Amino acid sequence: MQTAALRVFCHWSQSNSTAMIRQCLKCRALTLQQSSRAYGVIPPPRDSEEKEMVHRMLRVDHAGEYGANRIYAGQMAVLGRSKTGPFIQEMWDQEKKHLEKFNEILAENRVRPTALLPFWNIAGFVLGASSALLGKEGAMACTVAVEESITEHYNNQIRTLMEKDPERYTELLQVIKEFRDDEMEHHDTGLEHDAENVPGYWLLKNAIQLGCKAAIYISQRI
Amino acid sequence: YCCLISSMQSGYSLPTSVVAAPTTTNPQCGSLRRGFHCAVLRLQDESKSDKPPSSTSSSTTYHEHYQAHSAEQDAAASASDPAFYKIYQDQSGEQDEEYETEEQLQARILTAALEFVPLHGWSMEAIAAGAESLGLSSASTGMFEKGSGDLVLHFIAQCNAQLTEILAEQHNQVQLGQAEPKKTADFIRDAVETRLRMYIPYIEIWPQAMSLLLLPHNIPDSLKHLSTLMDDIWYYAGDRSTDMNWYTKRAALTGIYNTTELVMIQDSSPDFQDTWTFLDNRIQDVVNMATTAKQVQSTGEAVVQGLMGAAVTVSLLSYIHHLNSLFS
Repeated sequence: MQTAALRVFCHWSQSNSTAMIRQCLKCRALTLQQSSRAYGVIPPPRDSEEKEMVHRMLRVDHAGEYGANRIYAGQMAVLGRSKTGPFIQEMWDQEKKHLEKFNEILAENRVRPTALLPFWNIAGFVLGASSALLGKEGAMACTVAVEESITEHYNNQIRTLMEKDPERYTELLQVIKEFRDDEMEHHDTGLEHDAENVPGYWLLKNAIQLGCKAAIYISQRI
Repeated sequence: YCCLISSMQSGYSLPTSVVAAPTTTNPQCGSLRRGFHCAVLRLQDESKSDKPPSSTSSSTTYHEHYQAHSAEQDAAASASDPAFYKIYQDQSGEQDEEYETEEQLQARILTAALEFVPLHGWSMEAIAAGAESLGLSSASTGMFEKGSGDLVLHFIAQCNAQLTEILAEQHNQVQLGQAEPKKTADFIRDAVETRLRMYIPYIEIWPQAMSLLLLPHNIPDSLKHLSTLMDDIWYYAGDRSTDMNWYTKRAALTGIYNTTELVMIQDSSPDFQDTWTFLDNRIQDVVNMATTAKQVQSTGEAVVQGLMGAAVTVSLLSYIHHLNSLFS
């Protein structure tokens, strides 16, 4: 809002001296920068290297939330009407909120989404549905595995950003920390609901986590 | 040469003892130091003179001097050493009115060379003529590794920057409420037309430029410029998608843009009317396809609903029939 007001003021006073316009432009640029800092989650990048790094992080996070969304959708398709339905629905709603936030950030910062989205769409749904077909414990085991992978991934990102410059990335760190805490909660919910009782828990969990690691690796690049 | 640099930073007031160079066995560093030393002395002379040297003349004399020197030196330690200029650029800060980076110099030469393109085509002759028009030696074409490809890429980057400026200005106007937002198809049409009109002064020799861009060493850069252009146009058209649409929209626009460009180079109608008509039709095609896709999707959904309804009805009817047969 204040940037719009400032711009109107600048246009008004265009008939005045060039010095005033220059001042106006300077403070407009400053305000724009401050406002994009104040309302945006990502600081305007200083060079192309930083931009590349931040965009890569956002891209893979967006892909992750999109995939998690689809996994819960698959689980709900199978177990929606059972008694675990409400728990899965609750976790799914939280993931939807995460995805919305990342959609916002990507659109604001002109980040390219990963090209593999259609693939994650199908793969996520199939993973969710097939783990739910193993029963409620299977679905919970899948949740535990995926949420553990995502938590570790977010922790890595937090570590990277803290190493680089915690002050510069405060808002982004806040968002990632909040989402990481949500995912840990989902992980704990999964454990509470007898995830470990599924036969072949160790195998299932490690297979899914390997898949998640591969997905993260690919989505960072493509 | 770090001490030389730090003394440069302190406002060109160079003590004569600056000649005490750091001991180093690196031969590349040694030859750089020679060139640097001479440059330092030259700048020292210039700063001592009463008349402040104008920025262009001092930078050109600096470069001429440096180029004369680099002719003696090893190619590796020559003016194309980016690390040397980067140090200079980082630390000269506000004092770089007298000095410009190699990129800025290349940009100036290429901009000047554009005037000679109608005469010489997209070639090294045009670049040499441009360099000479700035008072530089025509041997400075050696700076451009990709040759005439550099000239074309520079022109394209310039056109893209101009278009982005125009689009940003339009965007501002809409934000301020001074202009009505255009419909997407119209916006795209105007953006592509504006951008292609920038080729009109060079349209006779544009096929040569296009063929230069297809050379293997120019392809990565030309693709990068093209993708940035498409992204910019869609961004200012209001696209904020974060799914597969991001890719399909840009791919569609790339197709429209490239085909229109091809039509333009062999268009002989007045003011390229045929080209703009072609552009209109292509955009209309894409819009129609998108509308059709939406219609197909909603039709498909309606059909699925209908089928499910029919299935439920049939099963209920057969159940009722079964009950009837049981109780009658």
